[in-house]
Amino acid sequence: MMGTAISNQQSEIENPMRPYLGRLVGKKELGTDIRLFQIELTEPAGKTHFADYRPGQFAFVSALGVGEAPFGITSIPSRGELLEFGVAKLGSVTGALHSLEVGEMVGVRGPLGNWFPMDEVKGKNIIVLGGGIGGAPLRPVINSILDHRSDYGRLTILWAARTPSLLVFTDEYETWQSAPDTTLHLTVDKGDEHWKAAGRSEGLITQLLERVTPSPENAVTITCGPPIMIHFVSLTLKKLGFSLDQMWTTLEARMHCGIGKCGRCNMGEKLVCADGPVFRQDQVAGFLESFL
Amino acid sequence: MKVITQDALKAWLDRLASETTLFAPRTVDGIVLYRPVASSNEITYEYTRPKMSAKEAVLPSTDNIVSIEKHSQDVTLSEPALEKKQVIFGLRPCDAHGISVLDAVFIGREPVDLSYARRREATMLVGLACPQMWEGCFCTSMGGAPDDPRHVDVLLTAVVGGYTVNTVTEKGQALVAGLDLRELTGDVPPVTTGGTEGGLPPERWPERFADRYWDLLAERCIGCRVCAYVCPTCRCFDVRDEVAERRAGFSRYDRLRCWDSCTGPNYRITAGGHNPRPTKGQRLRNRFFCKFYYMLQDYGSTGCVGCGRCIEACPVNIDIVEVLQEQVARGKKQEAQAEVTA
Repeated sequence: MMGTAISNQQSEIENPMRPYLGRLVGKKELGTDIRLFQIELTEPAGKTHFADYRPGQFAFVSALGVGEAPFGITSIPSRGELLEFGVAKLGSVTGALHSLEVGEMVGVRGPLGNWFPMDEVKGKNIIVLGGGIGGAPLRPVINSILDHRSDYGRLTILWAARTPSLLVFTDEYETWQSAPDTTLHLTVDKGDEHWKAAGRSEGLITQLLERVTPSPENAVTITCGPPIMIHFVSLTLKKLGFSLDQMWTTLEARMHCGIGKCGRCNMGEKLVCADGPVFRQDQVAGFLESFL
Repeated sequence: MKVITQDALKAWLDRLASETTLFAPRTVDGIVLYRPVASSNEITYEYTRPKMSAKEAVLPSTDNIVSIEKHSQDVTLSEPALEKKQVIFGLRPCDAHGISVLDAVFIGREPVDLSYARRREATMLVGLACPQMWEGCFCTSMGGAPDDPRHVDVLLTAVVGGYTVNTVTEKGQALVAGLDLRELTGDVPPVTTGGTEGGLPPERWPERFADRYWDLLAERCIGCRVCAYVCPTCRCFDVRDEVAERRAGFSRYDRLRCWDSCTGPNYRITAGGHNPRPTKGQRLRNRFFCKFYYMLQDYGSTGCVGCGRCIEACPVNIDIVEVLQEQVARGKKQEAQAEVTA
């Protein structure tokens, strides 16, 4: 049990800044400098807390002794106990995580934030738009739909990256494509020789979106990627007839607590950690301060 | 009204210093600061406002929140032991107000921040009313007053021969229990309760967001962040791990929470290099919007208590009162223009 719970007016509260310990049990290449980390929580309290997290929620992962950073959780609890995170090597914490060996201990703090409205969008056609490592928090959306396929309408996945080597979860594409009533469209900003030779799509996800032209009827979109992509995807969707309240997205921001205390992630009066990270595009449009 | 003589007060403070960690105004190199003291003789009893607020006592500038110990492959986490009781004596009402704003952030909004709550629970506030407004103070425009008793456990007010003792909370009652208090003969000093809320009404702040004013104001801002460090309510923090001990087969790291400020250039930069608030104007605007608009929306409390420290500390004379007045003036101008066009 954690040494953290103290008695506070009859109720036991836990320290929300203390991570749960876990062991790195798997490490897979997802792309150039992008890896999937599989973590087995070792403390009972951690297991309890992570028993029922939702697609879109995030957690802080600690490279113990270096620091912690927030990542969208890319696994779903119904598929097993291991927590999975897709991490691009970009800074000190991600760099330290990448250099960990399987078997080493890490910390995980969460689950934090709100989630995609998977129940509310049942019966609808779902268009998932992922850019680069932004695909990581969308994988649980896709897997939830695939695991409850008949609950949802058509699933259209638009998956993009700057280059082919930055496309994530490539070994799952076949499963996605072979699922009933599901299509996957890939594009990269700049293809390599193989990509070009295979005649595959080059260009931005917005261009791909204009070619795929999904119907806005009885549909919702779920987007994650760099802020600039989220912005232009929403403009293109608008052109295709989607209204802002049909578009869901998840935002990222630098943060140090994830619980509405550190002040770091505000966009105007909205806190990405405590009010999000999942927002509908009409909420985003109403932000006093731009997320771009 | 009860009074305590100067001698009885000193005896009480000596007792508090031996039983608790006693923070009190203390003159350090000619500057008055709230500092731990070992005896009542170290305390400065006549002062304006300490150079720094008292937030350090409840939110230290660097605070170890978790310790990480690694014995080869084994890792254990531990947290600092429960806080010893502490008393802040001589707390100015504005600084007590500031602590109530921190309470709103760290305790008032779920989840409770345990490190803060634990230390706060162990802290008792003994205020000392200001005999007057000081240069640069504007607490009465921020809903406070020089003798505002609302945010302390006990409020003392200097009178001839000692201090009146106003016991405000249950914590305060426990604190003064057994003290040799006398009935005050003569006039009871008047209590001024909350003043007026100054500046632009909160609902009018959003319309000031796109104003060029923030860029103009920021031309002289050097992003030094001192305004946040002297502020009783600024609480933004950074968290980082630091090596505390390292030897063969063993290492210990402290996870430190450190004060930070939104006016610093790197504040919002993510690991990938993206910065949603790249200009000084945007960052300075965030500071003022946070205090007078965002804090109200997010925590139900204004982020300014009118202590005036940021005015005194700013090396380029950015004056929060001037900023507020300018917002009111610009708001009126905008209204007038709207009337003309209508």
